[in-house]
Amino acid sequence: MALPSKIKKNLPLTSPKTLLGRRQELLEKINKDGTYLPKSLLHADLDRGFLDFVKNDLRTVVEGKLVPTVDILITTQNWTQFTETWNFQNIDKNAEPPFIATVRNPEVKFGTNPALIYNIPNRKQYFYAQVPTWDGQRAGMDIYKIPQPVPVDITYSIKIICNRMRELNEFNRIVLEKFASRQAYANIKGHYIPIIMNEISDESVMDLEKRKYYIQTYGFTMLGFLIDENEFTVSPAVSRIFQVVEPDLKYKRTREKKENIIPEEKIINNLTSVYSYSTISIEVSKTFEYICNLNYLNDVNVGDYDVFINNLYYGNTLQTIQVNTNDVVKIIVNKIDPASISEITFDVQFI
Amino acid sequence: MNNKVPITRLGKFFGDTDYNLDIQLGEEWLYGDMNFTLVLYRVDRIKTKTDDVYGETVTDGIKFLPPVEFKGYVQIMAPENKALGNSKVEQMEPGNLKVSVYQRHLDELEIDIQFGDYIKYYETEDRVRFYTVNNDGRVVSDNKHNYAGTRPYYRTIMASYVTNNEFRGL
Repeated sequence: MALPSKIKKNLPLTSPKTLLGRRQELLEKINKDGTYLPKSLLHADLDRGFLDFVKNDLRTVVEGKLVPTVDILITTQNWTQFTETWNFQNIDKNAEPPFIATVRNPEVKFGTNPALIYNIPNRKQYFYAQVPTWDGQRAGMDIYKIPQPVPVDITYSIKIICNRMRELNEFNRIVLEKFASRQAYANIKGHYIPIIMNEISDESVMDLEKRKYYIQTYGFTMLGFLIDENEFTVSPAVSRIFQVVEPDLKYKRTREKKENIIPEEKIINNLTSVYSYSTISIEVSKTFEYICNLNYLNDVNVGDYDVFINNLYYGNTLQTIQVNTNDVVKIIVNKIDPASISEITFDVQFI
Repeated sequence: MNNKVPITRLGKFFGDTDYNLDIQLGEEWLYGDMNFTLVLYRVDRIKTKTDDVYGETVTDGIKFLPPVEFKGYVQIMAPENKALGNSKVEQMEPGNLKVSVYQRHLDELEIDIQFGDYIKYYETEDRVRFYTVNNDGRVVSDNKHNYAGTRPYYRTIMASYVTNNEFRGL
């Protein structure tokens, strides 16, 4: 059994980034080796990127020989074609098959990239980056703004001209595998530009009394966008604010009267002891976190009571108990009716 | 052996003697005056390894029988300036080779020119071009190839040029 041709020579020790991390990674790639701004992307860059895509990603080798590519878009100046094909020309200075040529439809249409097709009119500038600055005295920021890129659709045709079916087959395999998901991406100046495959057609010359050769055409649409660096703006951000307020003295604002609200805690801390035990002598303890006087108000089913503060006897049936912070007040009650509930109520007076 | 039937048509005005004389005069003109020399590379259809599916060979993979030099009347068609399909790759496509060769000459050399064979023709001392036979002119029943309607005496071979990656005589 043959070994697979694509053997992993290195195992990645870190997992690839996803979601936000991946977006950050792409942003760093766009900004790499340059300013904080993305690199300009115009027609020539997209064309060059497509030619590189053909040259590298659709590289075709048959019988151990590389099928050469015409590394230019053939234009109206014929000498460029001659220059680019000199290394695979025959005695007639014609390009010797097999070779691959790329043709661009001259017209570039407004793009159909769904990410860019709907935008805000009037070329609004959008915040792109905030870059720290230092002028020798003050630290500041520069705000980098760019307009939304303009989507463009560029249609290319890749043509393979060859004499043998196996060359067609190999190129066809490479293209179809590359575009198995309908689209592939060209990395142009750090931007990932999608390329969609269209139709495949045949223009082979099969005349009886002429030289026979195959020409197959693969149509592609590049869903590119234009970023013009001349439209970028860099403006200083606000570094210092001097705020002046001038009040209107004609009208005097009256404050709303507020009711004197007793803190809820103080109400809650009115000491109310409720006894529900059937024993004769019942005690209750409470720790006070503030200084106050406990003034006796009334009682129910209480004969008399003893008061202890911090386990020291303080007095019997007192009308006022003076309490300091963190004192533990213990009251032991003698009930009149042992079967009923006893209750003593004190008023808490904060000092 | 097939039966041979003597051709006696036009015998009253144009007999075998006249026919042979005129052929000889033509050969004298062609071989002596014109002297177009070509080399025939007959494809060895047994030794040549071809693809099982497409019948194609690899580059320089065509095996051929010993090349044979022969004489014929050569005409080369005008080249055509054209683009390869819609590729915008323009080039000057060399014209076809048309060779008229006496059947008796082929018989003397004991060769037959077949569809797909290659013909080498020196344009200059150091510039050679290969052609592949696309019409071996085997059917010679027309009046043009019959001397005054007597019997066929020459064949017209049409060949189109090939690029080096198909055949270059190696």
